This record gives sequence, C-alpha cells and structure tokens, in this order.
Amino acid sequence: MIFRELALAVGVSLKTSGLAALIASAVAVPAALFLSGRDFRGKKLILVVNQTWMAAPTVVIGLLFYSLLSRSGPLGGLGLLYTQAAMTVGQVFLILPLIVGFSYTALRQVDKRARPTALTLGATPRQAGWVVLREARYALLIAVLAGFARAVSEVGIAMMLGGNIRNATRNITTSIALETAKGEYRNGIILGAILLAVTLGINILVQTGLRGRERD
Amino acid sequence: MSAPIYRLEGLGYAYPGEGSSFRLELGSLAVGEGEILALVGPNGAGKTTLLTLLAFLARPSRGRLEYRGADPWAGGDGAIAARREAVLVTHHPYLFKGTVADNVLFGLKLRKLPEDVMSARLRSALALVELDGCERTPASRLSAGQAQRVALARALALEPRVLLLDEPTAGVDTGIGLRLEAVLREVSRAAGATVVFSTHDFSQASRLADAIVHLSEGRRVEFSHENCFSGTAESDGRLSWIEPRPGVRLHFAGQARGHVTCVIDPKDIRLTVADGEAAAPGPNVFAGKVTRMETTDASTARVRVGGDLVFRVSLPVAEVEAKGVSLSRRVLLRFEPESVTVIGPRTAGNPR
Repeated sequence: MIFRELALAVGVSLKTSGLAALIASAVAVPAALFLSGRDFRGKKLILVVNQTWMAAPTVVIGLLFYSLLSRSGPLGGLGLLYTQAAMTVGQVFLILPLIVGFSYTALRQVDKRARPTALTLGATPRQAGWVVLREARYALLIAVLAGFARAVSEVGIAMMLGGNIRNATRNITTSIALETAKGEYRNGIILGAILLAVTLGINILVQTGLRGRERD
Repeated sequence: MSAPIYRLEGLGYAYPGEGSSFRLELGSLAVGEGEILALVGPNGAGKTTLLTLLAFLARPSRGRLEYRGADPWAGGDGAIAARREAVLVTHHPYLFKGTVADNVLFGLKLRKLPEDVMSARLRSALALVELDGCERTPASRLSAGQAQRVALARALALEPRVLLLDEPTAGVDTGIGLRLEAVLREVSRAAGATVVFSTHDFSQASRLADAIVHLSEGRRVEFSHENCFSGTAESDGRLSWIEPRPGVRLHFAGQARGHVTCVIDPKDIRLTVADGEAAAPGPNVFAGKVTRMETTDASTARVRVGGDLVFRVSLPVAEVEAKGVSLSRRVLLRFEPESVTVIGPRTAGNPR
C-alpha cells in the first residue's frame, strides 16, 4: 500500500467520522440537555430505547441504510450509496445514542443549583442552559470524543455504505479489512496502529487544551 | 410602610410530583420598598420556598404574586425582567467553575455593562464581604464560608432592587456574620434595596429587620414578640429546655436541637403574689419583682416582672386588683412547657 493511498484512507476516516461526530453532537447534546432538565411521561422509555440502540451492530445499521439508499430503496434517488456522505449518515446513526447517553449522564452530574443560580443572576432560560453545558464541558467533550472513536473504528457501515472504493471511500478500517482478506496481516496491523495513533493524537490534543483552560 | 414592592394574595405553592406533602399557604402579605423583612421559622417552615417564589424561580401554584404592581407570571418576559431585579443568594450557594472574579462578573456580563463599571463593581463587592484581592482564586479552593461571601458579593455587584438571602450568616464565623449584617443594613439604607432574609435566629431578625414574618409548616403564624428567649436546646428525654442565662432553664415540650428561640405569650403566664415565699420547684417557675405596670385598655393590664429573666404578663385589671399586684411587689410567674412556642430546628413532638 503506497503512502498516498494510506494518507487518503486516513483523510477519509477523519473526514467522515469527524463530520459524523459533529452532526451527531449537534443533535445529541441538546437532546440530552432536554432529557436531563425535566421529567415527563415516556422519558424512561426513551432512555431504554437509547441504551438498546447503543448496542446495535454496525452491520445491522449498514444493512438498514443500504436498503434505504440502494437504487431500489426509498432514498435510492439521492444517489448517496457508496459515497462518503452515506458513510457519514450511517455513522451519525451509529453514534447518536452513544453521545446522547454519555451527555445525559454528564449533564445529570452537573450540580442542580447551577441552572437556578444562573437564572437568579439574570440569565434567560436559554443562557442558563448554556451555563449548564459549560459546567459539564469536559464530560461532554469526552462524550463527543467517544462518539468519534466509535465512528472511526467501525467497519461494517463504512464497508456496506462506502463500498471500500479505492481513493474515494476507502478508510483505515476498510483498508485493514482488505489487507487482512489479502493475507497481508502485517499491513493490517500497521494500519490498526495508525488508527490508534490518530485517535490518540486527537484525544491528547483536545484534552490537553481543555485541561489547560480548566486550570485558568 | 412604603409602597409595596411585593404584594402576595392567597399565595400557595406545592412542589411538583407526588413525593412531597409540603405546601406553602400564605394569606396576604405586602413587602415595602426599601424594607428589611425577616422570615423566621424552623426547618421545613417554608422560608426557602417563599424566597424562591419571591425570586421568581418558581411559579406559584395558586394565588397572586405582584412585583411592583404587576404579575410577572402574567405573560411575556415578565419573570425574566423581575429576576434581573430580585436576586437570591441561597444557603448553600453554587459557584460556577472558574475564579472568584468569574463568578462575581457573571451577572454583570449578562447585563453587558462597560468593562470599567464591571471592574469597579467587582472590587467594591469583594471589599464589602472582606475578600479583597481574591479575584483570581479558583472558586473550588474556597471554604464554605468564603463561598457564601462570594455568592453575596456576586449578588451585591448587581446592585439589585431586591436582595433575597437564605440564612445569610449561617456557616460564617460571628465576626464576619456581624459584618455581613452591617452590609445588609447598608444595602437597604444607602442603596434603598429591599432585603428579605430567612433566619433561625430570632435575635438576628429583631436586630436587622423592619418587619418579621414567622412561618411554621408552610403557614404564617402570628404571636407576640415579647417574652422571646434564645439558647441551645437540651433535653433529658422527657422535657427540653434552653438556658437563656447560665443556670436559668426555660422548659418546653417536645424535642428540638441547635439554637432555638422560645416565645411565651404574655396571656399564658400565671402571676401570683409571693412576698417572702420562695419559688416552688418545678419547670418554668420564676420569681421576680414588678418593675412596670400599665393598662392597655379598660380591662387588661400589662405587668413587667424583672428577675433572672424579664417577662411581660398580660392579665385582667380585676385580677391585678384582687391579688394586690403593685410596683416592687415580689411575684411568682408560672407557665406550662406546652405554652412555649419554639422557633428553630425541631425534631418531633413539639405541639406548638
């Protein structure tokens, strides 16, 4: 595997999974804020469904979206199958419950007095919501990073929705699958190490930056 | 009283959910602008709930709560606007992550004040609570008492029209507590702010407040401010007592703990003339001399008796004449432990 191909695969992984983490967070964190801030009928059911969804195998999600995006499927006209966009959509669906669950736990651990304190000091309800998010920022970032790590390391969705097309939708995990299928175990292990190194680098960068700000 | 800033009519509040049986039920109450109002009562009396309602952090379940002549809950952003004027400092305040300055500046930044105004208010508010120079101290490193003072500074910096304080001096040492009391007086007198605070300490309420509202089990209770004695509750299992003066016990029924105030209605004290007679043993028998007598109307006399403790007794004029009560006469006073109202953290069994 030449270096250019490797760089492209790393780029596809970072792009699709990074985008999936951002999109899923934009939905999951407000949803978790809503769930953590009030009690209502059906909330427990939502949490149980979310927990169950977390355990969904990637190939099942891949298969579900494959049936939706394939030419004969209801969304076939969009022409998304075997594109990076399809991989991102599938990964969003994969990591959404994970980020909701982690964010919900993080926000439940914010002191109950934070919101009324912000309100009595003059914050609007929306500003008070931001204050609660800010108080949980470190744990929320961990939730987003966990979502990214799950997306970047999955192979089922990337393979089924991306199709492992060389220089287009091939990412690190589908490259590992290909190299292993070819019997190139050494390449597979090297790619696995690169995947871990990329994830480790991102974690170190983000957490170091955040801890530095926490100390200020 | 000056024009009311708050007017409460038939106000009621019940916590949502089925877990709590507590209900706040107040009749009518008006709080004058610039007034210092103390809410006195034991734990669970409803002081914090009332403060939360006055801060517009909870919506009354029923009745009407007017602020400056209007109902902030009537619609629009009324509650948000009212919250910007009425700031609550809770008993266990929450400090945001960050430094002392981050916390004090929080509300000022929301109000988008100029930088120089914010800096000046930060300095003056911290000076008022004697935490000058602590701007850069992380909030997580503060003691509970310091955190309480930072929370007060955070509220004072906003120069609120109404300052609501839940047990503002609990958890701080006596010297700082007295200093904070002076700050509250200053805020009310100089800045014209209305101050509503809760306390267990009846003597603090008497020192500071223009008016006192007594709460018990979610309701307002009325009784005389005479014959109030404070002390630390003790018990032998059968009766409980405080010692307002060393060696002088005032007994009450039931159990209580911590610092409490005992109040005896002047009408519940029986007076007998006791020239040369020693005080009979028993709870709540006090000997003394009549130091003052007056009539409040044609049929009722008020008698002040000085001894180990000073009591005021209310009794019919005819009884005064029949018993020969006169100035400087030695008298004995008796009242039942069940007649004593206890204000403070009760545990169980106190019938009043």
